[in-house]
Amino acid sequence: MTNTQNLPLVDAAGTGDTIVETQDLSYNYGAHGEFQAVKNLSIRVRRGELYALLGTNGAGKTTTLETIEGHRQASSGTVTVFGGKPTDRQGIRPRMGIMLQETGYAADLNAVETLRLVGSLSGRTDDADRILERVDLVAKRDTRVGQLSGGERRRLDFGSAIWGTPELLFLDEPTTGLDPTARERLWSVVSDLRAEGTTIILTTHYLEEAERYADRIGLMHQGVLASEGTLAELVADHPARIGFVAPTGVELPLPVTSTSNAVSFVTTHDLQGDLTRLLVWAERGGHTLDQLTATSSSLDDVFRTLTRS
Amino acid sequence: MLSLIQSELRMLVRNRLVAVCAILIPLGFGAFLIFSPPGGPADQAGGTIATLQILIMVAMGVYVTGTTTLAARRQTLMLKRLRSGAASDTTIIAGLVLPVVIVSVVQIAVILAILSATSSAPENAPLLILAVLLTELMFVGFALATAGVTNSPEHAQVTTLPLFFLVLGVAFWVMFTGTEELGWLKRALPGGGLAELIGVAWNGGDLSNVVSLIVPSVAWAVLAAYFARTMFRWEPRS
Repeated sequence: MTNTQNLPLVDAAGTGDTIVETQDLSYNYGAHGEFQAVKNLSIRVRRGELYALLGTNGAGKTTTLETIEGHRQASSGTVTVFGGKPTDRQGIRPRMGIMLQETGYAADLNAVETLRLVGSLSGRTDDADRILERVDLVAKRDTRVGQLSGGERRRLDFGSAIWGTPELLFLDEPTTGLDPTARERLWSVVSDLRAEGTTIILTTHYLEEAERYADRIGLMHQGVLASEGTLAELVADHPARIGFVAPTGVELPLPVTSTSNAVSFVTTHDLQGDLTRLLVWAERGGHTLDQLTATSSSLDDVFRTLTRS
Repeated sequence: MLSLIQSELRMLVRNRLVAVCAILIPLGFGAFLIFSPPGGPADQAGGTIATLQILIMVAMGVYVTGTTTLAARRQTLMLKRLRSGAASDTTIIAGLVLPVVIVSVVQIAVILAILSATSSAPENAPLLILAVLLTELMFVGFALATAGVTNSPEHAQVTTLPLFFLVLGVAFWVMFTGTEELGWLKRALPGGGLAELIGVAWNGGDLSNVVSLIVPSVAWAVLAAYFARTMFRWEPRS
């Protein structure tokens, strides 16, 4: 998988220093800790990296993120950010920008007032109009938050998080509720921040965003980090698929693993080799392969396998 | 903190319903008491009116409004948003609560100035100022504690009722029956010591037991702050 954004790649085994580290992090909900939302989670995020935390609904992604941010106290295990405790607001928070899963702003303040308020509490300095321009909300500068659309509030939220260009940025489902143009613009700003050295940890339900932008991906399921690695590492164990409408009455050169709507599917770990074999067979025998498709394994396949387990 | 205070004051004025509840109604009630004073000895009238004005205006303007504001900020996730920055919890709470206190103090200053001009002036102004500050402190503590058990701004209309009526009920009890009988109990209950203190400050009187009037109110404020620390929630209960 190539990095289409020409973003600086982080060597998976790399030497970048660790910004965020959790060791056996667990978080329990309930008065007596009855529900374990996060179980013994250990991750490391290196400086300059974009780490995507994916998973099913209720997998524990937001709980994990908020514990690392310092909104929650871990039930057990350790969390360090910049070598210190994330609950150290004066020491750590000025270096962190946080975009929560849901916006939380006063309806009676307008966009620029909201940015200035949140910015003043961030520990960093910036200019509200510059941020409004970056998130394309200049036209809504004096509009009260209560009158902004959901997508506009989300962009305001993003603007609050990037105020003062933090060293570490947490984005919890940043593009939810954004139209495609707004999403593209957000990712453009994220790319600029990465070029300036910002480390980013995000959660998203859009797998294609993780495929396109993340240096490493962690997959959570039922509170556990089920797998972790670069996109190539995650899909390496998942087979590719060749699909076609098989000619009747002939023996195929490859075993068919499934059929759907008259289309036969062959799974393979050698896509190029098996596809060549099939095409040569068809050419020599004069067979027609209708609806021929060849699909590499993707994050979607990994995710579906995870949810079926 | 200053930016938070400015934002809260801005929101207080922009939201008509909140502005009416926090600014107009307490002022209106205070003015009403001047023109329709309660019964009682004529020489005690100023103290009686001042006591009712201060306690009711602070109860409405600080206690009810403060509880409602904190619950609203929690419900809209604004508390969580504010906590995402570098500001401490103390700074955030102070920034949210101080605006209603500032408005309350200004309201009381205006109403008591009118009362002084139309009735009698206070005998001991410094003691009166202390009494007002103690009243503010006690009700701020109560607002923080009550906000911990208040799920929404609407719910605040219910959760603030018990303490609101208890404090005013005790104040009435002190004002109209004195403290010769069960004085220790009346002073110990929330509002009792304050009612007597305001009366002494306005009408004059024996200052030898002023400490016994101050201590219970401070104790209630400290107790409320203790409960606030354990009960206060920064996010809606999931």
